[in-house]
Amino acid sequence: MHKRIRNIGILALISIWVALTAFAWFAPSKDVSLWERRPLQKMPPITENSLLDGSFMKKFESYSLDQFPLRDSFRTLKSLFSYNVLQQSDNNGIYVEKGYAGKLEYPLNSVSVSHAMKRFQFIYEQYLKESGSNIYMTVIPDKGYYLAQENGYPSMDYEKLFAAVKAATPWAQMVDITGDLTISDYYRTDTHWRQEKLMKVAQRIADAMGVTAGAFTPTLATQKFYGVYYGQAALPMEPDELYLMENDILAACRVYNHETGEYGSIYDQKKLPGTDPYEVYLSGSQALLTIENPKAATQKELIIFRDSFASALAPLLVQDYKTVTLVDTRYISPNLLGEYLTFRGQDVLFAYSTLILNNSATLK
Amino acid sequence: MLFSSIPFLYYFLPLVILCYFAVPKSLKNSVLLVFSLGFYAWGEPRYVFLMLATIGLFYGCGLAIGKAQTTTWKRVWLIVSVVVSLGLLAVFKYADFFIGNFNAATGLSVPLLRLALPIGISFYTFQSLSYTIDVYRGNVPVQKNPVSFAAYVTLFPQLIAGPIVRYIDVARELDRRTHSWENAACGLRRFLLGLGKKILVADQFALLIKLFRQSQGQSVLFYWMYAIAFMLNIYFDFSGYSDMAIGLGRIFGFHFNENFNYPYISKSVTEFWRRWHISLGSWFRDYVYIPMGGNRVKRPRWVLNILTVWLLTGLWHGASWNFVLWGLLFAFLLLVEKWIPALQKLPAVCKHFYVLLLVCISFVLFNAETIAQAGADLQSMFGLAGLPLVTGETLYYLKSFGVLFIAGIVGATPIVKSLACRIGKTPVGSVLEPILLIALLLLCTAYLVDGSFSPFLYFRF
Repeated sequence: MHKRIRNIGILALISIWVALTAFAWFAPSKDVSLWERRPLQKMPPITENSLLDGSFMKKFESYSLDQFPLRDSFRTLKSLFSYNVLQQSDNNGIYVEKGYAGKLEYPLNSVSVSHAMKRFQFIYEQYLKESGSNIYMTVIPDKGYYLAQENGYPSMDYEKLFAAVKAATPWAQMVDITGDLTISDYYRTDTHWRQEKLMKVAQRIADAMGVTAGAFTPTLATQKFYGVYYGQAALPMEPDELYLMENDILAACRVYNHETGEYGSIYDQKKLPGTDPYEVYLSGSQALLTIENPKAATQKELIIFRDSFASALAPLLVQDYKTVTLVDTRYISPNLLGEYLTFRGQDVLFAYSTLILNNSATLK
Repeated sequence: MLFSSIPFLYYFLPLVILCYFAVPKSLKNSVLLVFSLGFYAWGEPRYVFLMLATIGLFYGCGLAIGKAQTTTWKRVWLIVSVVVSLGLLAVFKYADFFIGNFNAATGLSVPLLRLALPIGISFYTFQSLSYTIDVYRGNVPVQKNPVSFAAYVTLFPQLIAGPIVRYIDVARELDRRTHSWENAACGLRRFLLGLGKKILVADQFALLIKLFRQSQGQSVLFYWMYAIAFMLNIYFDFSGYSDMAIGLGRIFGFHFNENFNYPYISKSVTEFWRRWHISLGSWFRDYVYIPMGGNRVKRPRWVLNILTVWLLTGLWHGASWNFVLWGLLFAFLLLVEKWIPALQKLPAVCKHFYVLLLVCISFVLFNAETIAQAGADLQSMFGLAGLPLVTGETLYYLKSFGVLFIAGIVGATPIVKSLACRIGKTPVGSVLEPILLIALLLLCTAYLVDGSFSPFLYFRF
């Protein structure tokens, strides 16, 4: 009897194995992973060269992993086992604490910070030193600043990072926003901060620059914002809500994309159903944008050197500025800026997150 | 190709099993040969020809030894097989080590060969050598069927990371083996257990080791965690691979010898080596140590025999001074155990502790890139490098990997096996076992789908 039960069990095991094999062989390939926000490897072509140099085998390994049936469910199973059975504190460097998913950002990469500072210094020397601009610097803390250390996760030495930035940029006025944020001001499933929670930050920066931030009405854009950490953690988490801060001034603004030569709006609603709804703010990753504000109270102009965090922040600083230009030097070399911009005493804000400063290889 | 990979589990293995059981008995070795060559070529497309040449050499030498009329000619053909195969090993594995040391000693700059190490060359060379030596000794008949011989050398279950299966142990099964549902089910079970050991345990310790090396907050405790993690990593990695090899062999009707027998419960270093990588230890014993006279010689010669065997054991693992020192360390420890019998009169706890401590230290040496790094690692472990005893990061990883450490330590003892045997005999066990095996398959698949590439440690040997 025992033997029979055991044999039935082994048959079940073999059946599952065969079923997964059949799906792996015959299920149609997918193009992208929505969870991981990346294209998936397709079946590589077989050629004599690719077989001899082994490249076919490497690509097939990737293909077999990317196209495996129930891939996302298997990733969730792994995460659940890792967190709940092995009691591991993080899974692939992603941890979940108090309902917030965060990434272990550790240790402080001094070489990376130094690289970023050199790039900032280059911009200063090349364009700002003689321009008469008022220059401001704000370092945007990532979630780890509020989540990691107090919950026992390794975290970078933030104070050392802030001090290094301050020491390397004596030509800029530091605007400390760390006291204006808490962990609840960030999305639970994403890297970024929530625009509707940034009024204190915007006011702090606006005060430093001698302008006003204005008043806004939050509008719910989507109730199903699954951020980047959702896919990486592969855990069943509730989606975030994504709000847009709106007012008449922003509604009247136009956004000029220097790369495409086209105009758009502050909030790019077409991005909402896409892989990353956060790109609704100023259309996501863009090299060079200028927000034109026809209702500006002054003739002042602002240039923001920035990363993706500033996409949500910049609209809150628009009110008093005739133009706000956003430069992302990950996508445009600072050497080329002179061809697009004239530096003539505009206010200048450097707004970079600790994540970028600690991983600055992409800064040109 | 890795056993612990999706292409193997869900493409290669189902296909080879399907073809193998679909063909008649007379073609089964041919199927194994074709798939084994494909298995090897997947990772080493160019070196498959080197392996085929090695097979041709040993097959020819075997035939020649069988046909030779005089002992002299038999010996000549044996020497040819030994010299050529060890010559290939020397060129591909040791040439740069010797050239580098020659350059360092003489100040010359003889260019290095910089040849990529063919995967599994140490394993299939030693297996093939066992064939010609045993044919020469008259222990086994000559294998006249080239397909059967090639299937033996290339047999994918044990081709690239052992265990070292001697020809004599599978000679009969190469030509006449039986297949049964029981064998296949037993093999499947063993394979999945090995897969679990590799993916769920060994690879997780490998992750901790990687995190340790990247860490900037190292401490004395973190060094000890690293050393223990590596002990467990190498054990579960290699014994897991051996389990998978034995299990796969069983599915195809072969019975390979065990390669590990809970080495970390040993009470002496001598016992440890009777339980660790058994196929390698017994190979050196039977083909090197005993032919040199073993322990039935005068003491100085016996010491020389021990030193030679362990120098070779160290070098077998890699062309590097840390492996040489690692081998010689064990030679020294074995000699000490022989010379100081009082050691065996210590309480069992003390004996366990000293074996584990010495093995732990030996693996720190084993895993270091250089002797200097090994020295630095050992200094840090014993608090001589000025590191703090503990840091916040250390505690984080201790907490994060605590369950894994407990599981690894318990799993390295016979407790789990003994428990499983007891439960397995009950009605609950009959239901539980397949469920656990299904869970193991799904979990391993989940880790593979989520995880990154992690090659077996013993591939580099």
